[in-house]
Amino acid sequence: MKKFLVGSLCAITFLAIVLAAYLGLGFMDVAADQRPSAREAGFMTASLEASVRRRAPQMQNPLASSDDTLIAGGKLYLNDCVGCHGEPGQPPSDFGATFYPPAPQFPSAGTQFSEAQTFWVAKNGIRMTGMSPQGSSYSDSQLWSLAAFISRVRNLPPAVVKAIRPPPSK
Amino acid sequence: MKNFIFGFLTTFVLILIVPLTYLRLGAAEVRGDVRAPSWERRLMQFALHAAVRRNAQRIQNPLPHSDEQLVAGGKMYLDGCAGCHGTPGRPARIHIAYAPPPEFAHVGTPYSESELFWVVKHGIRRTGMSAYASFYSDQQVWQLVEFVQQMNNLPPAVFDAIQPKRR
Repeated sequence: MKKFLVGSLCAITFLAIVLAAYLGLGFMDVAADQRPSAREAGFMTASLEASVRRRAPQMQNPLASSDDTLIAGGKLYLNDCVGCHGEPGQPPSDFGATFYPPAPQFPSAGTQFSEAQTFWVAKNGIRMTGMSPQGSSYSDSQLWSLAAFISRVRNLPPAVVKAIRPPPSK
Repeated sequence: MKNFIFGFLTTFVLILIVPLTYLRLGAAEVRGDVRAPSWERRLMQFALHAAVRRNAQRIQNPLPHSDEQLVAGGKMYLDGCAGCHGTPGRPARIHIAYAPPPEFAHVGTPYSESELFWVVKHGIRRTGMSAYASFYSDQQVWQLVEFVQQMNNLPPAVFDAIQPKRR
């Protein structure tokens, strides 16, 4: 038993030294201009989704499901989210791809999150990504309309698409 | 000896498996509006700077320092960087608590010109700092870097030249 403990302590010391050398000598990968490997992306995405599922409220969107809600959310999306997350009907955002991890492109890829989860993520942000918390910039009801829009962004009613389209420049 | 090896391997495997399980079960905090504990911030800043130092070893600024470079860099900075990093007299518009973008006007930067050049071009993984190599030429990045380093100590002529024009 004593030898088992000595072996255990040796393993802890060994890993601590390896970690300290890895970090202290500058071997940590810090460049953002590569894509995460498929394994890393899969694991981290699953972990993020598990954390969000645990913490986000489980509820329906309190706003009425109407074109007006989608239009309000769509205007907000076009104003503040398209830079990284991509514009409906346009090619994916080049800027969104320069982050590590890259920003998800909702118009082409949609989202795995429920509206309540999207609301929660938009409000609180996601640590260790470029997703900044929006809770101080927008009211809850604005963020709920945004969540409704994002969950429908691949399947918008034509009237909504028309209403949020920026007016043609003169 | 057998027990020693057994103890070593068991602990080794546990140390690897526990954090992965912690993450995968959704136990990790993911909110971006909660600050990291200070030991974590210090450790990560230390490791980040060490990594950037290693990567930027052989980079040298080919441009002469001049007011023109500062003005060009300042205009780009106000346009593309100030939203997160702030400017002298004006705080940042976007706030990310984790990992927070440094507000250069308050804290300056411990990074050398070459290190900043590398960071702007390649970005920083798992932060909001994206890689700008495809948006700015090398010359523009050097201008930006020079501005960032001198932001709190600008010649008055440069300071006036980069102010947004009032109508």
